[in-house]
Amino acid sequence: MSTSTETTDREQAAFAAVELARHPARPRALEVIGVAFDDWTELRGDRLFGEDRAVVGGPARLGGRSVMVIGQEKGTDPMTRALHNFGMPHPEGYRKAQRLMRQAEKFAMPVICLVDTPAAYAGIGAEERGQAWAIAESLLCMLAVRTPTVSIVLSEGGSGGALALAVADRVLALENAVYTVAPPETCAAILYRDAGQRARAAAALRPGVDTAYDIGLVDELIPEPPPGAHAHADVVIGAIRGALIRHLNELEQIPLDALLEQRAERYRRAGG
Amino acid sequence: MDRPAGPVTARRQPPRRRLQAPGPQLTPVTHSATIACPACGRRFVADRYAAELYVCSGCGHHQRVGAAQRIAQLADADSVETLQFDIAERDPLQFDDGVPYTDRLARARERTGLDEAFEVARATIEGMPVVLACMDFAFLGGSLGSAAGEIFARACEDAVSERRALVAVCTSGGARMQEGIASLAQMARCSVGVSMVSKAGLPYISVLGDPCFGGVTASFAVQADVILAEPGARIGFAGGRVIEQATHDKLPDGFQTSEFLLAHGMLDAVVDRRNLRDTIATLLGLYSRPT
Repeated sequence: MSTSTETTDREQAAFAAVELARHPARPRALEVIGVAFDDWTELRGDRLFGEDRAVVGGPARLGGRSVMVIGQEKGTDPMTRALHNFGMPHPEGYRKAQRLMRQAEKFAMPVICLVDTPAAYAGIGAEERGQAWAIAESLLCMLAVRTPTVSIVLSEGGSGGALALAVADRVLALENAVYTVAPPETCAAILYRDAGQRARAAAALRPGVDTAYDIGLVDELIPEPPPGAHAHADVVIGAIRGALIRHLNELEQIPLDALLEQRAERYRRAGG
Repeated sequence: MDRPAGPVTARRQPPRRRLQAPGPQLTPVTHSATIACPACGRRFVADRYAAELYVCSGCGHHQRVGAAQRIAQLADADSVETLQFDIAERDPLQFDDGVPYTDRLARARERTGLDEAFEVARATIEGMPVVLACMDFAFLGGSLGSAAGEIFARACEDAVSERRALVAVCTSGGARMQEGIASLAQMARCSVGVSMVSKAGLPYISVLGDPCFGGVTASFAVQADVILAEPGARIGFAGGRVIEQATHDKLPDGFQTSEFLLAHGMLDAVVDRRNLRDTIATLLGLYSRPT
């Protein structure tokens, strides 16, 4: 049995993939919004308790149409990482996202979600204010919102905290991103009662987005030029923009009733 | 993969012989055996403890109970038809961390007599028809994998097609790590099930038992029209120990208990297990539509 210090090559490779997805220079939500969209105007607050900077959102223009963009932002330096709570939302973040999705429906704007979180925040205040309730409501909101929806996993899609913004008509992912039921550290703490065995957990979890693609939870992987998006942010953001426009063009041809039926049917079968 | 070819089949209890009842008494008990309350140590004759629904008459501690016992405690006698869905075993990651996941599943089945962490039955409660979907913590910590998610979704579909209210008893550690991303997807699948029940205008009552965490709490457990919880149950998204280690904050007294969540506006009521059946029956009466 392996320990925290002895890891096999396979385990090291699996965790290296997680570390690549966590590379600090990968494009973040605000960078993608700034480059790929025009006229983005940030809207803040959940109208219930507070403002969560881990989730940013607001209307913008993409390819001639207005869209509602909602993103999980991790920050890019020590100050912004702390400001955005390392991309780990509180319940307010999910409730703000729901508010913006309802507004998008009202104004017939497609919803674009940029997913990038290790997990929903685990803290006293988050629990007191109903983290689980906020995520559960977000899942229902995404299933019900009467407008086309596209989510893209930029780097890290961790736990229900990511899924809450990824129950979309189309789900895309950058090819070096990870999408997991829980971060490898949490998974190791649950399975082996030792967060230090994260490499072992990473190898067993198959965290790469190709696993999510194989089970049909992700529809399209956006290629990254080697060594990865951290070295080619502009190229990758251009590819993201192109993919979003292409998928919106397709989704906008589908009558809304049929679109919602297809969405329900898709997630009714989710995960095999 | 294995959607129902035709209507769901139902058959009368008992569907199969259980090796032993899941839940607190993992060793067979005889009439003279006594069981100690795990909270206060007070001893009870086993039959009497069972008659009190595994609630300590001394300190009020609610012992964990299995899915089959839940159904027996809530349903009218002789009204129970257990639903068999014949769902294929899943191992999307070929997960092996020393013990292959399929071996763990086989052992859990042998130990609990259950096929999965969910047991579903059609039944009546005070004469009112329901679909009862009960989780069993003894089956791999009540974890939500894709078979369990499929069972819950089918329970929802059965409620819709039979025009029955849905009652779910939720107790779970959360998503099943061994199925990785496929188990995360179950939160969405189960949410589709709840949406269908909701759209059909049928009431959904959820009962949260100890413990209830992670992806189960963050999906169908709290998507109900009425959320009840048992006294002292620990309920949340992240576990208290995880929060303490991550934040180094001291957890407030009673953190993540039913009573704590009731005070924070997250639950409709905390109900003693011995009153649960009556409470659910009253609610079902109130939420039934005139025909």
